Amino acid sequence: MRRVFIWPAAAIGAAALVTFPYWTAEWESSRFATTVLRDILVFAIFALSLDLLVGRGGMPSLGHAAFFGAGAYAAGVATQRLGTDQLPLTLGAAALVAAALALLIGTLVVRSEGIFFLMLTLAFAQIVFAIAFQWTSVTGGSNGLAGIARPFLGGIDLNPPDRMYVLVSATFLAVVLLVRAVAGSPYGRVLVGIRENERRMRALGYDTARIRLSAFVLAGSIAGIAGALSAYSLRFVSAQDVGIGTSIRAFVMVLVGGAGTLAGPVIGAAVVLYVERILSSAVPVAETVLGLLFVAFVLLARQGIVGIGGAAWARMRR
Amino acid sequence: MSSELLFQQALNGLSFGALLFILAAGLSLVFGMMDVVNLAHGAFYMLGAYLALSVVQLTGSFWVAMLAAPLALGLLGLILEPLLLRRLRGRHLDQVLLTIGVSLIVVDQIGVVWGREVRSLAAPAGLDGSVALFGGDYPAYRLFVIGLGIALAAVVTLVYRRTALGMHIRAGVEDAQMLGALGVDIDRLFALTFAAGAALAGLAGVVAAPVFGLQPGMDVDALLYSLVVVVVGGLGTLGGAVVGSVLIGPADTFGKVLFQEFALAVIFAIVALVLLLRPTGLLGRIRIAR
Amino acid sequence: MGSDAPLIEVHELSRSFGGIRALDSVSFAVQSGERRAVIGPNGAGKTTLFNVLTGEIAPSGGSVRVAGDDITRLRPWQRARRGIARMYQRNELFAPLAARENVALAVSARAGPYRFVGTPSPAESAFADELLTRVGLAGREGVPARALSHGERRQLELAVALAQNPRVLLLDEPTAGMSPAETARITELIAGLDRTLTIVIVEHDMDVVFRLADRVSVLHEGRVIADGTAADVRGDTRVNEVYLGKVVVR
Repeated sequence: MRRVFIWPAAAIGAAALVTFPYWTAEWESSRFATTVLRDILVFAIFALSLDLLVGRGGMPSLGHAAFFGAGAYAAGVATQRLGTDQLPLTLGAAALVAAALALLIGTLVVRSEGIFFLMLTLAFAQIVFAIAFQWTSVTGGSNGLAGIARPFLGGIDLNPPDRMYVLVSATFLAVVLLVRAVAGSPYGRVLVGIRENERRMRALGYDTARIRLSAFVLAGSIAGIAGALSAYSLRFVSAQDVGIGTSIRAFVMVLVGGAGTLAGPVIGAAVVLYVERILSSAVPVAETVLGLLFVAFVLLARQGIVGIGGAAWARMRR
Repeated sequence: MSSELLFQQALNGLSFGALLFILAAGLSLVFGMMDVVNLAHGAFYMLGAYLALSVVQLTGSFWVAMLAAPLALGLLGLILEPLLLRRLRGRHLDQVLLTIGVSLIVVDQIGVVWGREVRSLAAPAGLDGSVALFGGDYPAYRLFVIGLGIALAAVVTLVYRRTALGMHIRAGVEDAQMLGALGVDIDRLFALTFAAGAALAGLAGVVAAPVFGLQPGMDVDALLYSLVVVVVGGLGTLGGAVVGSVLIGPADTFGKVLFQEFALAVIFAIVALVLLLRPTGLLGRIRIAR
Repeated sequence: MGSDAPLIEVHELSRSFGGIRALDSVSFAVQSGERRAVIGPNGAGKTTLFNVLTGEIAPSGGSVRVAGDDITRLRPWQRARRGIARMYQRNELFAPLAARENVALAVSARAGPYRFVGTPSPAESAFADELLTRVGLAGREGVPARALSHGERRQLELAVALAQNPRVLLLDEPTAGMSPAETARITELIAGLDRTLTIVIVEHDMDVVFRLADRVSVLHEGRVIADGTAADVRGDTRVNEVYLGKVVVR
């Protein structure tokens, strides 16, 4: 009975999400909620891509911001320096640049596991940060790239905030469908197999290093798209976007929301951005709150909010 | 480059290497013993520096700070290990994640307590001048750092190889579970090790402050460098920390002189090369820790 | 038994760990379709031998040939693609996945990992379920591996290896930790396997060895000290010396 309701409900929910600025126009003229929701969705895409690695693949990457930032810079540079202003081109460029970087870094890190993998991704991402910080001619150095113009989709100008929001939310929905498809596919099951017992997978004939690399590149590309959307939303890219802070934020989102699930990274993004944007104006210790949250969840609720919800649901049904 | 400049840069590289050793040794020790990469290591380094700032303001003595800050950090480590890490014994990856959370809290609180502007700490009187060396003037403090690094390496090696505690640590690095089965109090050993790692990070913070100053983001730099050192030199071994710092210190210094903007690319190249040839680092052992 | 050339040729295989010679110039040949047992006291090097055969450990010297091809330098996954499957001594299963999914991963290996659409094909699912029934896990297909009993997990372990459709099957103590009834069942199962499959089996249970093996190789301290039919080995004095007090040979 319940199955019948899911698809129509999801369709309605999706439609409501995409048209959010339009039906809230009356009571929300400042567009604050739209802006926050837009940023949540951008980071939800980023977190979903990280979850492909962390949750599904068992590859704890602390350097995922390298690809987010690479995509952001690519989009910014494409628009500002190269004069490309068509969305498919710039988004494609962002995904490609991020994928290329993921291929480079991935080749070096993919043969290690667990903590060693974590450290290596962190170190390489930080090196990308240092390069971004110092390569002033391309990245704008410590100033970053400012005043990035939004691209066009065919003839449609994406500068108006409503349209930018529609782009972000539509992309978010597309990514959700993509991640869902990948997770449920044979490839997704292979990733789970590698996560659960890589030794056995090798013994079965899977080239696990190469498969992990493919997941790394896929996740990196999606992160790059998130980065491009961030660059256009904020009209700004800085070295912080490749920094360790951004990588950690994404990790916190995945873990607090619930790794290995579809809803988890999205919920996590909402929670983290709520703390950073709304709570922090009342209490100026956002990082401390996030740190405390993170510690609490690692200690007490490792499966995240989705895990808590799932356990509560199971208890109610008994 | 003139030979004088070359020599100066070589000394710079050595003093940076000495500093890196003090910094990285603690990280390597904690990993070797507990299979935990303490990602709050940079935050501890930062806290040590800022504590030193306050201690110097209070007492006027750098030397008191150099004693007090590591002690305070050690105490912090002694509290944190049983409070947080011990509950996740055996879940190495989760313990690492925990240290990330701790790092977020510590760094943010440093900003709350001390503010987020750039600060500086003067070298102690007596060491704030220059020494005439090989025709040029070289900062006395940096020579002190080199000496301190060597002395610390010697002391640590001595403790490591000649004392009962050192024997326990070496055995624990090898196989902590076995050591516990033999009746050694693993809880206490782990707490002490973590405390020692934190103390060393704090010491590094104090010692580095007169050279590098204090600013937001110094925790990340310290963490990155210590990670690079131990990855290159080899995780879990003290010798690895030595090899790594002796390599990375001069490489970074000369890289910055020669390549300026892309100095870190030099480090990147070294790390990549080492990893491709020897995935566990130059002197490291294979660790399967999840 | 087909042509004269052996299917598996192990030549002067050596492997040291630090100062310990786990394998010392081990040589033997296994014919296609043969059932070869490798026995020896604990520490004789049997598991090391398997690890070298599957490629998880590199030998310090010597070579391994399968069907004439030198596979000594091949990675584990490359050897699996060539038809070498292993049943591990300590189960290497996918704990949270159902028994059927464990087997499905083995079956899907041949199709390649980069399939982004679709659920497992009906043919693959049917094959997995049929295999599970053969090893005695009918009705338990949906149970997560970690919820199975030890004996059931050994059965699943065998099913996963068989699902690879191998031509060489390496069984590392298949009856370890099993009750007599379970042991008898799995022994008969192995005995019933088709002769297109070549089997090398490490075992401590001598009843199983004598039921299954055409030939027996005896390892002691990394060296092959006897190699012959089960009857030959049973009567060999050196073997009896080595095993004195360790195994009751009836």
